[in-house]
Amino acid sequence: MSPLRAPAFRATATALFCALALSLSACSSSGSGSSDSADKPKPSGSHAKGSNLIAIITPSPDNPFFKAEEDAAKQKAESLGYQTSVASHDDDPNKQSELIDAAISRKAAAIILDNAGADASIGAVQKATDAGIPVFLIDREINKVGVAKAQIVSNNSQGAQIAGQAFVAAMKEKGNYVELTGKESDTNAGVRSKGYSDVISQYPGMKKVAQQTANWDQQEAFTKMETILQRNPNIQGVITGNDTMALGVVAALKSAHKTGVVVVGFDGSPDAVAQIKAGTMAATALQPAALGAQMAVTQADQFIKTGKTGQPEKQTIDCVLVNKQNADHFENFAQIS
Amino acid sequence: MTDTTTDDHAAIEAQRRKAAVQARRLKTLDSIFELRAFIALGVLIVIFSLMSGSFLTTDNMITMTKHVAINAVLALGMLLVILKGGIDLSVGSSVGLSGVIAGELLKGVHIGSFVAYPQVWAVVILCMAMGTLVGLVNGFLVTRMNVAPFIATLGMMYVARGAALLISDGTTFPNLAGDPRTHNTGFGWIGSGRPLGLPVAVWIMIVLAAVVAVVLRSTPYGRWLYATGGNERAAELTGVPVQRVKMTVYMISGACAALSGIIIASELTSAAPQAGESFELNAIAAVVIGGAALTGGRGNVRGTLVGAFVIGFLADGLVIVGVSTFWQTFIKGAVIIVAVILDQSQQRFKKRGVAASAAAVTVEPAGDEPVRVASKA
Repeated sequence: MSPLRAPAFRATATALFCALALSLSACSSSGSGSSDSADKPKPSGSHAKGSNLIAIITPSPDNPFFKAEEDAAKQKAESLGYQTSVASHDDDPNKQSELIDAAISRKAAAIILDNAGADASIGAVQKATDAGIPVFLIDREINKVGVAKAQIVSNNSQGAQIAGQAFVAAMKEKGNYVELTGKESDTNAGVRSKGYSDVISQYPGMKKVAQQTANWDQQEAFTKMETILQRNPNIQGVITGNDTMALGVVAALKSAHKTGVVVVGFDGSPDAVAQIKAGTMAATALQPAALGAQMAVTQADQFIKTGKTGQPEKQTIDCVLVNKQNADHFENFAQIS
Repeated sequence: MTDTTTDDHAAIEAQRRKAAVQARRLKTLDSIFELRAFIALGVLIVIFSLMSGSFLTTDNMITMTKHVAINAVLALGMLLVILKGGIDLSVGSSVGLSGVIAGELLKGVHIGSFVAYPQVWAVVILCMAMGTLVGLVNGFLVTRMNVAPFIATLGMMYVARGAALLISDGTTFPNLAGDPRTHNTGFGWIGSGRPLGLPVAVWIMIVLAAVVAVVLRSTPYGRWLYATGGNERAAELTGVPVQRVKMTVYMISGACAALSGIIIASELTSAAPQAGESFELNAIAAVVIGGAALTGGRGNVRGTLVGAFVIGFLADGLVIVGVSTFWQTFIKGAVIIVAVILDQSQQRFKKRGVAASAAAVTVEPAGDEPVRVASKA
């Protein structure tokens, strides 16, 4: 390559790359990234702040649960005449803080937040509240009251109990079972595991032969289940902290040609509901993701108009058991009539 | 005068013997070091066998080897990149992207009003082509744009993960079994088939390892790769097509990652866009435990395979014995650190060994011993 051509080539290549990067970022913003819906009528009682923006911040939409939550909040807010901005913090408290800053500088009317950690998020929520922006928490609580206007979470403990009861019933109250737990640093993983134990330990015929965490992950659950089966081929049931891991377990049981093992999960994801219909999973506890998000938006609207939510700060939504009998009535984390 | 000469001779003789003995001792130590990964693997197998009767069974060995294969396939690609003196952080994302592409293709490709259902072999080839493409971009960034490999592949790690999320809209492809009506069934065989009693993944690992070993040992490409990693400038001056070598290692690594992604998606008969997160680190760990130098030019297939087995057997063994995940993570980290410390000591010993042999040889050659040392050194 001649010395004259080399810089020219490099410049062209750089330009091409910039163009590529720009088009990529354009794709993402029109896709699932932050999207603003302008040209909507302002809500009648719009606050004096001059903005009718509701900022919706959730963890990564990788998980269909958060996606359902995000979609429900966005839809509800737009139906009430608000603009929305949607973003995800990927469970990174620092990124969450930046997103809150962005919402503050845009003078959002309210923030709907599925937070990035019970302790790590207190500061960010406080910051928004201090700036006069009401924050409505969904799905996960923070370890402080009086900062957020509402904390609407599904009742993990109750969900684990109904899932545990369904598990025990499907195993006819006896047999060897395995428990796969979620990420051990996550509060919900502990609450669910405890909920399962509270129910199952009442039955002396039920024997837990192995417990491992699979970090909410399908492939990890698959690998760990295959290995556990090597040590304990004689098992009658597996209960997991979420549906993603339950699906990994189902695949591992299939690959080991084991049939008749009771598998119970948690979340009520569409994939798990499909497995329940197919008979490879026994049950799951469905968290009404959409309902919680809609409640939060309704209360935010109420607060913007009247300065009150009319509800206590801490609210829980009960989980619903999905099993073979009622699986047809559930779709995308919500009950359909 | 005469006495002094005799004394001198005796002193030289003593020094020579001492040097020869030391050289021999270092040589023995060196071979022990050389085998350290094998020894570690042996120790793991013995410990876990003693702790659980279900560890050392044929069935469990096959299952564990199947788990190892996923990381080994990644690690073999990574080995080539590391031999070159680079690093590939994008492989974990390529695993996820490959699975998602497989999911998208098996669902049927809409071309206008017409829907095409690629056969499983075509799906595999297209996924690997995608992985190769990610590698091509890595290689382009490294060779043409002069981006440091760490940064280039870090960037592609996010780009590839983002692409997987965009294509799948963040959701999992739930059913990759195909449909008999569209003649694209059989994808699940890659993850669950067992020709001649061994899982397909294990066969893939064996064939790939054999191919890479032959390429490294007996082809010009292998020699070019070691030369490029050892001293890039010198290699370039002796006519090694350095840029082409660098480009291809990333492409091969990307293809290997795609292959791993296919195996995982097939085992689960579903493809999640977040599959393969942090797999790049396991692959790097396997290569490093196997004695490769991150600076390039040193490492081999045998070591990398043993490294992958050490990591895999350790993980599965700890699950079988019922150790908590916290300890699993802790122990894995400790093993990696110990492996690298041993590697560093080996390099130091090697240098001292060379110096000692040199000393033994340079001292007046009397008798056959120094010659033997020299020929061994």
